[in-house]
Amino acid sequence: MVVSELDAGYKCTCPSRKFPCKHSLALMWLRAAGKTSFAAGSAPEWVKDWQSRRRGPGAETDNTGDPKPKASIHAANSTADPPVDPVAEAKAEARAAAARERNRLEREASIQGGLEELDVWISDQLERGLAGFAAHAAQSCRLMAQRLVDAKASGLASRLESLPGRLFTLPEPIRPAAAVQELGVLHLLAEAYRRQDALPPALKADVRQSIGWSMTREALLAEEAAVRVSGSWRVFAALSEVQPDRLRRMETWLCNEDPAAAQRFAVLIDFVPVATGAAAAGYSAGDRFAAELVFYPSAHPLRAQIASGQSGAQASAEPLQAPECLLGAAYAGYERAMAEQPWVGTFPLHFRAGLIRRSGAQLFIAENNGIALPLQPAQATLARPLLQVDPFDGIGLWDGYYFTLCWAQTELGRWGNA
Amino acid sequence: MNAKLLKTQVLPALLSGTARTPLRPETGDALAALSLAGQALRLERPQPPASFAIEAQARDERRTIPDGLRRPLLRLLNGKRAGEDVALAVAWAMGRLKLRLHPFDLPKLDSFVTAHAEFLGAAAQHWAVSAKSADETQAAPQSYFDAKELEETNWSFAPLFRRALFLEEKRRKDAAAARTLLESVWPQQNPDGRVRLLATLQTGLSKDDQPFLESLQKDRAPRVKALALKLLARLPGQSGSHPALAACLERIQRSTTGLLRKKTVLKLQPPANIQERGVRAWMSEAFADVSCDELARAFDLTETAMIEAAEKDENLILAFALMATRDRRLDLLEAVVERLPDAWEQLSQCPNSAPVEMAEEDKQRWAAALIRPYKNDPLISYPAWLWLHRALEGPASEMLFGEIVRSGKWLTKLQEDAKPHAAWIDVIAALCPSSQRAALQFQMAELAPELTATAVPLLEILDSLEKAGNNA
Repeated sequence: MVVSELDAGYKCTCPSRKFPCKHSLALMWLRAAGKTSFAAGSAPEWVKDWQSRRRGPGAETDNTGDPKPKASIHAANSTADPPVDPVAEAKAEARAAAARERNRLEREASIQGGLEELDVWISDQLERGLAGFAAHAAQSCRLMAQRLVDAKASGLASRLESLPGRLFTLPEPIRPAAAVQELGVLHLLAEAYRRQDALPPALKADVRQSIGWSMTREALLAEEAAVRVSGSWRVFAALSEVQPDRLRRMETWLCNEDPAAAQRFAVLIDFVPVATGAAAAGYSAGDRFAAELVFYPSAHPLRAQIASGQSGAQASAEPLQAPECLLGAAYAGYERAMAEQPWVGTFPLHFRAGLIRRSGAQLFIAENNGIALPLQPAQATLARPLLQVDPFDGIGLWDGYYFTLCWAQTELGRWGNA
Repeated sequence: MNAKLLKTQVLPALLSGTARTPLRPETGDALAALSLAGQALRLERPQPPASFAIEAQARDERRTIPDGLRRPLLRLLNGKRAGEDVALAVAWAMGRLKLRLHPFDLPKLDSFVTAHAEFLGAAAQHWAVSAKSADETQAAPQSYFDAKELEETNWSFAPLFRRALFLEEKRRKDAAAARTLLESVWPQQNPDGRVRLLATLQTGLSKDDQPFLESLQKDRAPRVKALALKLLARLPGQSGSHPALAACLERIQRSTTGLLRKKTVLKLQPPANIQERGVRAWMSEAFADVSCDELARAFDLTETAMIEAAEKDENLILAFALMATRDRRLDLLEAVVERLPDAWEQLSQCPNSAPVEMAEEDKQRWAAALIRPYKNDPLISYPAWLWLHRALEGPASEMLFGEIVRSGKWLTKLQEDAKPHAAWIDVIAALCPSSQRAALQFQMAELAPELTATAVPLLEILDSLEKAGNNA
C-alpha cells in the first residue's frame, strides 16, 4: 500500500470496500506515532503509476530526494511553495497522459472481452429458452455480473445484477417476455458499444455511460457542449433504493416549473454506501428551488447535476402546472424517447385529466376512453381513494411495466406517494 | 422482419429455447433476433383491460377534518405509543362531532379506520368493507348512509350502533311506536343486528311487547331466542319459570338479626368450586339476567331494603351494583355506592360491567355516582380509569372531571408512583372534557416528557376536532 503524507492520499491493493482500508489506516498510524523507523527506498512500478495519475499536492512527490517531513501539517504550514521545474512538470504531465491513455486502452480491451463473454452467456440462455429464465436468474446473473465487473464494465454489470430483482417484481406470466426485453437491451447496448464510433456523439455518450464509463462532476461542469437549463425546479419524487453492491441509489426527480422550458424533467442521482445510514437525498416531494442544472450528454438528457445558483429548497404546497397534454400524449413522449435512445429506462410522464380505474385488484392510470397504464402494485392501497375523485393532473414515472404515480392534483388537494 | 413476425415466430423460439426450436435462417443471428423481439415488445402500447369496475360511491356528508390536523393525526395514530384508548378517543370524538378523515388518509390509517369505521362516517365504512374484501370484483357495490338526523323514514339505513341509539331513544318516548318500527325492519336484520336491536326493548319493557317477544321463540339465532326469553321473564306478572332468578336465589342465604328489631340479612354463597379470584366473573354471569326488581320481589322486600340487607356482604352488594348498572337504576346504584365506596374499582374488575345502551346523560350520572367517594382522593389505578373511559365512550363531564383536575392530587399521586404509566396518562387525557384541557395540559408539564408524549398531542387534537366540529 502507499500513503501520501502531503494530502493523506492512499492506495492499497486489498479488495476492501472501506475507504481508507485498515491497512492504509495502520500505515498512517505507524507513521504518525513515529515508533517505527522508515527508510527511503525505490517505489514499485504501480506506486509510480498511481502517483503519475494523481492530482494535487501528493502527485509526483520525489521520494528519492530529501527525507520526508514527519507529518502533513508541516507541509500545510509551510509558506514557501517548492520551486517548480517547468520541464519536469511537462514531462510528468506527458507521462501521466500516456499512462491514462494506456489504462483507457487496457479498459477498452477488457470491456470488449467482457462483452464477448456476455454474448456467449446470452446465447446460452437463448439455447435453454427464456421461459424459465427467471427461475434461475439470480445465480446465473450474479456470476455473469461478476465477470463484467472484472472486465471493468460496471454499468452493464449493475444492470445485469439487478435484473432478477426486477423480474421478480413482475407477475409470473409476464416474466418470460420481460426477460426477452431485458436481455435484448443488454445485447443492444453491447452491440452499440462495439459500433460506438458510428453513433451520434450524444448516443455514444449514452452507450459509454451505460457500459460503465463514468463522468465526474468536474468533467461535466467543464463540458461546454453540455445542456444547461436554469429555472425554478419542483421535486416531484424522491426515491431511494439499495443496490446489490450495497450502495444506496437516491434519485431526486425534478420538474421545471416553466412549461415552455427546453428540458422539463431532470433527475439528480446520488450514490452513498448503505453503511453511512443516509436514507434520503435531502429533498422531499413538493420542494422548490432555483438552480442551473447541467445535463449529462445523452440523446434524451435526464440525469443532471446542479451547476450553480441553488437557493435553499423550500417546501411548497402550490400545485404543479401540468402541460396541455393528456396521458396518451405524454406516453407518446416516452415512445419518442425510446426511438432516440432504445434502452431508455424510467421515464417521467406529466399529464392532465388522468383517472384511476380498477380492473380486478389491479389499478390503472387511464385517460378517458384512451390509454391505460397499470399502476405499481405497491401503490394499490395508497391510490385507492383516487378511485373516487374526478379527473386530475398528475405526474409519475413509467418503467416500461408499471406506472408509479408520484403526484396528483385533485379537487381534494394534493395526493402524494408517501 | 416486422413486429408481427417477431411475435409469432421469433418470440416462441426464444422462449422455448433455440436448441429445441431453432430460428429460421432468414431470421439471422439469435442475439440480433433477441434484441429486435425485445424492442418490439417494448414499443408495444399497454393494452387496457376489456372493462373497468364500477366503483361504489360512498356519499359522505360529514365535514372533513381541517388540513392542518391531518399530519398531527397521522403522527398520533401511527405512533408506536398510541394505545387503543387514544384511537377510541379520536374515533368517538369524530363520531360525536360528525367529522370525517380526509379520503387520502384512509389508507395511511388503515388499521384505525378498519377498527373504528362505524364512528368515522360513510366513506370510512366503505373503505373498511372494501379493504376486507379479498377479491374486490366479488364485492357488490354498497350504499352507505350517514344522515345527520335519523327519523322513522331513514333510520333503518344507518349503521347498527346509530340504529340502536335511535330505537332506544324512541322507546323512551313511545315504546309501542318503537316496537312497531323494529317489527317492520326485523326480517332484514342479520343476527348481530337482531340481538343489538332487540336489547333496546329493555327500555320501557311492558306487557305490550309480549306477543312480539313470543314470536321470536322461532328465531333461527339461539342468541336472539335466549334474549327474547330473558325479556319475557322480566315482564311484570310473568308467571313462567325464571331459571336465572332461581339460580340466584339458591345462592343467597336469608337470615334475620337483632333482638328488639328484627333485621333481614342477605348473604351470597358462591359455589364451592369457584375460587376467590373467580367470584366476580361468576357473579357477573349469574346475575346477568336478573333485575333488581325481580330479586326484591322474590325476597318480598323493597329494592332499598334489599340493598340494606346485603350491606355486610361485599360480594352481594357488588352484585347489586352490577344489576343496578344493567337496569339503569341510578337511584339504586347511589344507594349501593354509599355502602360500597370502592364500587368503581370493584366494578372495573368485573367482566361485562359497563353500562350498555345507556343515554349519554345517564352515563355521566352513573359515572358521577361511582366517582363521588373518590372526590378528594383520586383513584390511581390504570384499569379503573381505562374501564371508565370505555364505559363512557367519550370524555367525562365537567362536573365529574373538574374536581379531579382542580385538586391536582392525581398528579401528586402519580409522581409518588414508582412506575408512572404513560398509558394511564393517555386515558386521563382522553377522558378530560374540553373545558379542563388547558388546565390538565398545564399540570402535565410537570411530568417527564416521555410520559406525556401521546397525551399532550391527544389533548391538542381533541381540542382542534371540537373547534372544527363546532364551527360547522
